[in-house]
Amino acid sequence: MRKMKKILALALAVAVVGVTMTGCGKPAATDTKPAATDTKPQATDTLIYAQGAEPRGLDPALVDDGESAKVMINIYDGLLQYNKDSTKVEPSLAKSWEVSPDGLSYTFHLQEGVKFHDGTDFNAEAVKVNIDRQIPPLVTADMAYGSFVYGSVKDVQVVDKNTVKVNLTAPSTPFLANLAMVMSAPIVSPKALTDSKNNVNQAPVGTGPYKFVKWSKDENIILVRNDEYWGTKALTKNVIFKFIKDNSARVVALNNGEADMIDGIDATVVKQITDGGNKIFQAPGMNVNYMAYNTSKAPFNDAKARKAVSQAINVPELVKSLYQGYSEPANSVLPTFMEGYDKSIAQVSYDAAAAATAIKAAGLTKVHMIAYTNPRPYNAATGQTLAEAIQGYLSKVGVTVTIDSYDWTTYKEKIKAGDYDIAFYGWIGDNGDPDNFMYLLSHEDPTMNIARYKNDEFNKLIAKGLETPAGAERNAIYTQMEKVAAADAAWLPISHAQTLCAYRPNITNFYFHMTGITPLVGVGKK
Amino acid sequence: MLNYILKRILMLIPVLIGVSIIVFLIMRVFSPDPAPIVLGQHATQLATEAWRQANGLNDPVYLQYFNFITGALTGDLGTSYYTKMPVSKEIFARFPATIELALVAIVLASFFGILIGVISAVKKNSIFDNIGMLIALIGVSMPIFWLGILLIILFSGTLHWLPSNGRIDPMLQPVAVTGFYMIDSLIAGDMDAFTDTLQHLVLPATALAMYSMAIITRMTRSSMLDTLQQDYIRTARAKGISEGRVIRKHALRNGLIPIVTVIGLLLGSLLGGAVLTETVFSWPGIGAYTVTCILKSDFPVVQGVVLLIATIFVMVNLIVDVIYAFLDPRIKYSKVKG
Repeated sequence: MRKMKKILALALAVAVVGVTMTGCGKPAATDTKPAATDTKPQATDTLIYAQGAEPRGLDPALVDDGESAKVMINIYDGLLQYNKDSTKVEPSLAKSWEVSPDGLSYTFHLQEGVKFHDGTDFNAEAVKVNIDRQIPPLVTADMAYGSFVYGSVKDVQVVDKNTVKVNLTAPSTPFLANLAMVMSAPIVSPKALTDSKNNVNQAPVGTGPYKFVKWSKDENIILVRNDEYWGTKALTKNVIFKFIKDNSARVVALNNGEADMIDGIDATVVKQITDGGNKIFQAPGMNVNYMAYNTSKAPFNDAKARKAVSQAINVPELVKSLYQGYSEPANSVLPTFMEGYDKSIAQVSYDAAAAATAIKAAGLTKVHMIAYTNPRPYNAATGQTLAEAIQGYLSKVGVTVTIDSYDWTTYKEKIKAGDYDIAFYGWIGDNGDPDNFMYLLSHEDPTMNIARYKNDEFNKLIAKGLETPAGAERNAIYTQMEKVAAADAAWLPISHAQTLCAYRPNITNFYFHMTGITPLVGVGKK
Repeated sequence: MLNYILKRILMLIPVLIGVSIIVFLIMRVFSPDPAPIVLGQHATQLATEAWRQANGLNDPVYLQYFNFITGALTGDLGTSYYTKMPVSKEIFARFPATIELALVAIVLASFFGILIGVISAVKKNSIFDNIGMLIALIGVSMPIFWLGILLIILFSGTLHWLPSNGRIDPMLQPVAVTGFYMIDSLIAGDMDAFTDTLQHLVLPATALAMYSMAIITRMTRSSMLDTLQQDYIRTARAKGISEGRVIRKHALRNGLIPIVTVIGLLLGSLLGGAVLTETVFSWPGIGAYTVTCILKSDFPVVQGVVLLIATIFVMVNLIVDVIYAFLDPRIKYSKVKG
């Protein structure tokens, strides 16, 4: 009997383990090609980029996160691309283009002889397929950026094999900037889209400098150089994107040589990184961190009260102490590298004595602030800390501030409800076009326009900016908007956060673009 | 015995139904709406509504549950909202990593835990006992993520002996057969990959084993102390059996039942994913992944993982109960306990 029991128990144990193993028998990775190299790779053949989270997917139409963008920029090309040091657009798969005088038609002349990684041809038809899948009637609800990038597109016409014409429903100058984005705009192989049932999240096929090899979930994504690349070929053969969630572990991985480049670091670890002999890359950020007055109700429906409070706050001092030199104090809504920014733009300058007099005259004694408790990409110190610092400035001029702080999700609900005098927010730009920042102040949706600012003159400028072709005339319109916004003081812009990355000393030409992408094509390893 | 096992397996059904209802309701009541998270900052009201409709989130909750459970019965756990991948694929891409780490950790924890526990009990109140109990106390009290970071800083950051993250050097990754890199690298006959896998396992397995080892040590010590007082131990010694044999065959064997129970429970929870260890060591397992999915309101994934973990718990406990019968012939699983 005892023996019988033993056998039974053993059989059961084996069965359970067996079942579990079979369940796990499916490959852990989505292989599409054999391993990256046949022979053991040399260390200098491989760039390892460690990021803080796993990408959502690699289909440009289906994702909206920065982690995906960092990988996708190396696999795909768009019709246009950003200049290395600004958000000006340059030719990419489209070697030139013309805009019709009415601003409604864009004709793109495409690079010839370009092939997708799967060997199929890139041509006008491929462009049409990519845009068509993201506009009605084919667009699906989960195409996060489709309506943003192609919202103004009426239809796409194939003129000939290498010419494509995009017709818009209304003039929209930012459309060109949209085409340089890594969300939505990159061109995917139509064959791959058909093969993967309109979802290439796990099997991306583009025309870019690197080809997708394999994705081991929560571990890494491996890319290999596209030796048939139509442009300048990549310097390094393999690229590995590793996902290391813990910030300090990512720093150790860099110092240890397990990663060549890392991002998502903060000021506290800079010394540890440089002590390890590594270098810091401080990239300007396409974002703005701001304080907004609720202009829809008293006391801040009066511009005088808004200006008086703004005058009481020493923004440069505040930014220096809160962000330790890794955020620039903001003089404008637009980051300084963007078209339309002008040095002449300035907000109400700090003058505590004048502020105290103005505040007394306005009879302002109490202010209700709401703030968020989570760090945000544009405000690593959290909205609450920022609010408390401002509370300090205002107490000096006789204003008592009450602060209610909420987690980010609840905070957004509170913003929607509108029960506040002052609130804090920020914006991360999408396409590098000034409209993408300035339109917040004309938005109908109070969760976008949290100052609930309404100014017909400003709105007219917004409409004019959309229609005017890129150039000095258009830039002047945005400078004008900045001046209107500063005069009305609906916002007090606080800072533009920088992005901190680090890389090993043997890495050459590393850069992190202000739009949050990391093209690795020119990066080498000694 | 067979009846007993069948009965226990049948009991899995009410357990799974209960667990699935609880997790289903918790996610729907306490989690933020997934639509804005999935669709991003440019989603229009229309797109949000369309997405909710397409994913059945506008249906009454009981109908949503019914759809989920009928799907689950046919093996279809749904599709991740966030990545659009089938939930089962997402889970099984990560589960081998969790199993591999949990098994190595539990083996380490059991071996050292029982060893230290037995020594402590046999040499009660000696210096060995005190050191053993101190280690156990440290193991129980030290937060795992902190221990993990310390290990990384010391052995990776400072000494450069061991890798700090991941399961293997990405360029050595073996072709996936079982998903267990130790086995896969052996199948491929790649000793470099095998060694690399072991090196990657050392730190996370140590961090993870520490707590379990401490529990097992304390359980072993108290169980052994108890057994060593028994009359049959005195009898065995009186018969002139060697002390080593008395401890191994007579005392430890009889003292093992509570220890095995604890090991079973610990293994169950380790297989459910060690969230902190996985996060600190960037271990691509199920635990850290589940937390990410909870934060993103990815309902189908969370439901799927919870069902899987509940099943594992029940099965591990069943195995433990069967092992009792091995260890103690007096335990019989029949209708009338004998």
